[in-house]
Amino acid sequence: MMEKSVHSRRPTVNEVNEFLETASDFENPLELIREALSNSYDARAENVEIQIDELSDGRTRIRIKDDGVGMDADGLASFFDLGNSNKSNSIGYKGHGTKIYYKSDSVTVETVKDGSHYHAEMEQPWKRLNNHQLPEYQYQISPADEASFTKIEIVGFRSGDSFSSRKITYNRLDHYINWKTIGGSLAHRFDEDAHEMTISLELDDSLDRTQGTLSQSSRFKFPPKRTDFETTSDVDNLCKHYPKKILTVNVDGKEVQIEVVGFVAGKAAREELPTHGRHSSQFGVWLAKDHIKVERVNDVIGSDHEPSRFFFVANCQALELSANRETIRNKSDSVYSAVKAELRRFITRVTENEWYREYTEARRAAQQVRASASQSESIANRKQQLSLDGHKVPSNPPEVIASLAIYNETADSDIRVVDYEPGADANAILTVGEKLEAATLVVNLHEIFESELTVSELERIVCWSLGDLDVLCETARKGYFGHSIDFVTRGDQTSLVVDGEEVPIVELRSSLY
Amino acid sequence: MSDEVGEARVGELKTASMTLQTPHLLPVVNFYCGGTRNSLYGGGIFRTIKEFLSSHPETVHGRDYSEFFKGVMSSVAALTDFNITQERYLDYLGTPIRDRVEFSDFDGGLFVDSGGYKILQKGGLSGSNFDLNVSQKAVYGIQRAFGGDILVNLDSPLSPNDDYETRVQKTEQTAEYVREFLALTTREESRYLTIHGHNRTMIDRFLTTVEHTLNRPLKGTFDGFALGSLVPYKDDMGTLIEAVTAAKKELADRDLGDLPLHVFGISGRVLPLLVALGVDSFDSASYLHAAINGKYSTSLFDTVPLSQAIFDDCHCPVCETEALRSDMRGNTRYQKDVLGPVAVHNLAVQQFELKKIREVLQTGDQDRFRSYLEEMYRDRPASRKFAYRTINKTLEPYF
Ligand SMILES: [Zn+2]
Repeated sequence: MMEKSVHSRRPTVNEVNEFLETASDFENPLELIREALSNSYDARAENVEIQIDELSDGRTRIRIKDDGVGMDADGLASFFDLGNSNKSNSIGYKGHGTKIYYKSDSVTVETVKDGSHYHAEMEQPWKRLNNHQLPEYQYQISPADEASFTKIEIVGFRSGDSFSSRKITYNRLDHYINWKTIGGSLAHRFDEDAHEMTISLELDDSLDRTQGTLSQSSRFKFPPKRTDFETTSDVDNLCKHYPKKILTVNVDGKEVQIEVVGFVAGKAAREELPTHGRHSSQFGVWLAKDHIKVERVNDVIGSDHEPSRFFFVANCQALELSANRETIRNKSDSVYSAVKAELRRFITRVTENEWYREYTEARRAAQQVRASASQSESIANRKQQLSLDGHKVPSNPPEVIASLAIYNETADSDIRVVDYEPGADANAILTVGEKLEAATLVVNLHEIFESELTVSELERIVCWSLGDLDVLCETARKGYFGHSIDFVTRGDQTSLVVDGEEVPIVELRSSLY
Repeated sequence: MSDEVGEARVGELKTASMTLQTPHLLPVVNFYCGGTRNSLYGGGIFRTIKEFLSSHPETVHGRDYSEFFKGVMSSVAALTDFNITQERYLDYLGTPIRDRVEFSDFDGGLFVDSGGYKILQKGGLSGSNFDLNVSQKAVYGIQRAFGGDILVNLDSPLSPNDDYETRVQKTEQTAEYVREFLALTTREESRYLTIHGHNRTMIDRFLTTVEHTLNRPLKGTFDGFALGSLVPYKDDMGTLIEAVTAAKKELADRDLGDLPLHVFGISGRVLPLLVALGVDSFDSASYLHAAINGKYSTSLFDTVPLSQAIFDDCHCPVCETEALRSDMRGNTRYQKDVLGPVAVHNLAVQQFELKKIREVLQTGDQDRFRSYLEEMYRDRPASRKFAYRTINKTLEPYF
C-alpha cells in the first residue's frame, strides 16, 4: 500500500497560445485604430494623427502619433504585455486591446516621457507566434528635450478573410471613428472635464484619393436642436435633444448606473451626421462602455416606433465586453437584462412625451401630404394616358363596372350592376331592364376558364374583351368540367353556350371601339 | 380641495349629511337583495358584505370595517336583482336605508345611481309580481326613499357600438331626464349630472345638448359630475385616460372645473392614473366580482386564486382575524361566508391603496407623487406607457 502524500502544483499557461488566441480575436484593421485611439485618450492626448499607406510591396502601414504623456520602460512593457494593463481607470478589457498589434510583420514604438526617448521594435511577431516562439522587443533609451509623445507604426497587419485593408477609405474610417470608437464619445455630456481630442486622418492615395486629410473632434455632436414645427415639411428637419439622464437600477442588491443621452430626429436632421452605408442602420439605442458604442438594442424601442428616428447612447460600466470589444459578454447576467428593462422604461418616457406624440402626428400629416402629391401625379398620368388611348383598358372587375356605364350610353342599353361581390364566381348581380341576372364580370372572357369559375348558374357575362381566343376554342374543344361549351355569334351578339343553354356575353370593347 | 398635485387633488366631499375624503372609492353595495325585514341578510355574498357594513357581531369578530364603507354606491336597479315581490318593494321604500334597524350601525355616505344602464336595457324595473315603468320621477322617488346623499339623473349610457344617430338620440333622452331631474330635486340635495362620451367632441356635444335642453347654464346648477359609459372600456387605459382628460377639459372650459368629478364603475390598475388626471371619486363592484370568481387581491393590480392566497401578507382586519381566515379557507357551511370575507379583503386592498395615494397627495410634493406612480407601474409594461403619458400630461414632463 502506498503512503499518502500531498502535492502542490501551479497551473501553467502556454504563453504563446495565449497571445495567439488573443490576437486572433481581432479581424478588422479598424479595430487597431480603435485600440490606438483609446490608448491615446488614456494618455490624455489632445491630438492624434493616423496615417495609413501602402508600401511598395503591397503591405499596409499604419502609423498613429499622439501628444499624450508618452511611455517609459514600464509603459512599454504594459503595451506589449498580455493582460497587464497598468493604467487605472483606463479604457480596455484586461489589457488585451494592444495585442492586436501582434498580428503584423513589425511593431515599432517611439515615445518620449520625462526627458527620455524610447525606441522599441518587435520584428515578425505574428510569424514567431505561429512558430510557437514568444516574440521579443528591443528598446533603446536616449535623452530627449522634446515634449512627450507616442508614435506607433504597424506594418503588414493581417486582416481576417472578411476584411481587406484596401477597403479603408476616409468615409469608412471617419464613420467607424464616430460610431465605434472613443472618437464618437458622449463622455463630455456627463463629465464636463472629459477632455477633447482632435483626430486627424491621412490616407495614402492608393487607398482613397478623395481628400487630403480629415480632422474631427472626439466629441460626438448632435444635429442642431429644432423642435418647433409648423408646416409638414419641417418634420424632416426636426431634432429634439434629450438631456443627459442617469438611470439607476438595482441588480441583486447592487446599484448600476446607466448614463443616457440622445436625440429624436427627422430624416434630414439625421443626414447631417457622418454616415456610411445604410444610414438608418446606425440609429436606435446603443449600449456603450467607456462611452464607446458597442451594440444596438433596438428591441427596447418597441414595435410601435421606428428605431431609425432615435439615437440614444446608454453607457454602462457594469457591462463586460468580449475580448475584441465588439460585443457584450455578460448577456446572460441579470445586469444586462436589468439595463435593457430600464432602457425600455426610458424609451417609453420618450415616446409618451407630448412632443414626441405631436411629432408622430406631424409625421403622419407629412406622409399624407406626400401621398396626396403622388396621387395627384398619378391622376395626371392616368388622365394623360386616357387622352392618348381614348378609353381606359380595365385591369380589374371594378374598372369593368366603370366601363359598363360608358357602354350603356354608347350601346343604348341598360345593364346595371346592383351587387358586386369580389371573390364570388358569379361576382355580380345585374339588372337588365327589369330583370335580375347572375353574372360574372371579368376583364377577359378567357379568365373564367383559367380561373376555373363555375358557369352553370350564369345568366350573363360582362367582359372588356373576349381575351385569348385560343383558350376559348380549346375550352370549347375539350369541354369544361363535364359541361359542353360553345361560343355562338348571332348578329353582333356573342353567347357562351353551356350544355345547350345560351349565356349572352357583353363585350364592352367591341362597342366602344 | 385642500391640496393639488398637478391635476390630482385631495380634499373633502361634503353633502348635507356626510363628508368623504377624496379621492374616494365607493364600493357598490346592494342593500336590497333577498331576505325579509326580519331576516334581511339574504342574498348570498351580498348579505355577507352587508353584515360587514352593519357590524354584525358574528361576522366582524370585534373589528371595525367602517373605514372601508365611508361612502357606498347603490343603484336603483339593485332592487330588481333578486326578483322581489311588490310587497317587499314597498317595504324597502318605506324607510331610508340608514334609518333601518338592520343598518343602524352604518353611517356612511350614500351615492345612489339611477341604474339607468340596467333599467333601460331591461325596459323597466320588474319584480316577481309587478312591473314598474321607469321614469325620472320614479327613479328619483326611489333615490329619495333610499335616503341618498348624492343623487344623479336617470341616463341612457352610450355603448361602443352605437352609431352617431343613436348617440344623439340617447343624449337627447338623457338631457330630457336631466330636465325632469332638476324639476324634481331641490338645492338641498347633492345633485350630480351624468356625463357620457369618451372624447372631447362627444362630451362637448353632450354638455351642450344638456345646457340647451335645460335652457340654463350648468354652472350653479349641479354639485358634481359623474362620467359614465366607460365600463366597456375598463381594460382600455388609453380610452379611459382620453375620456377623463376630455371631461376635465370640457368642464374647465365651462368654468366647472372646481366641482367634483366621479367616474362610474371603474377601479383597479387605472385608478392611480385617473386620480392623477383629477378624478375625485370612483365606484366599483370589482372587489365583489373578483371574490365571486375566487380571486384574492394582492395589490390594486394583482389577484391570486383564493386557494393560493397567503393571508399573512395582508394586514386588513379580515386577514388578521383567525375565524375569517378559516372561513376563507373554505371551512364554512355556505359559499357566501367563504367569499364574503374575500370580497371585503379585496375592498380593503383597494381602500388602503387609495389612502396611500391621498397621503402622497397631501404632501403636495410633485416628486413624491411622480415616484409613487413610477413605482406603481414600473414593472407593468402594458400599463406603464399610460402611466408615463399621464405623468407627462399632468406633472412636470420628463423632458
Ligand atoms: Zn386582507
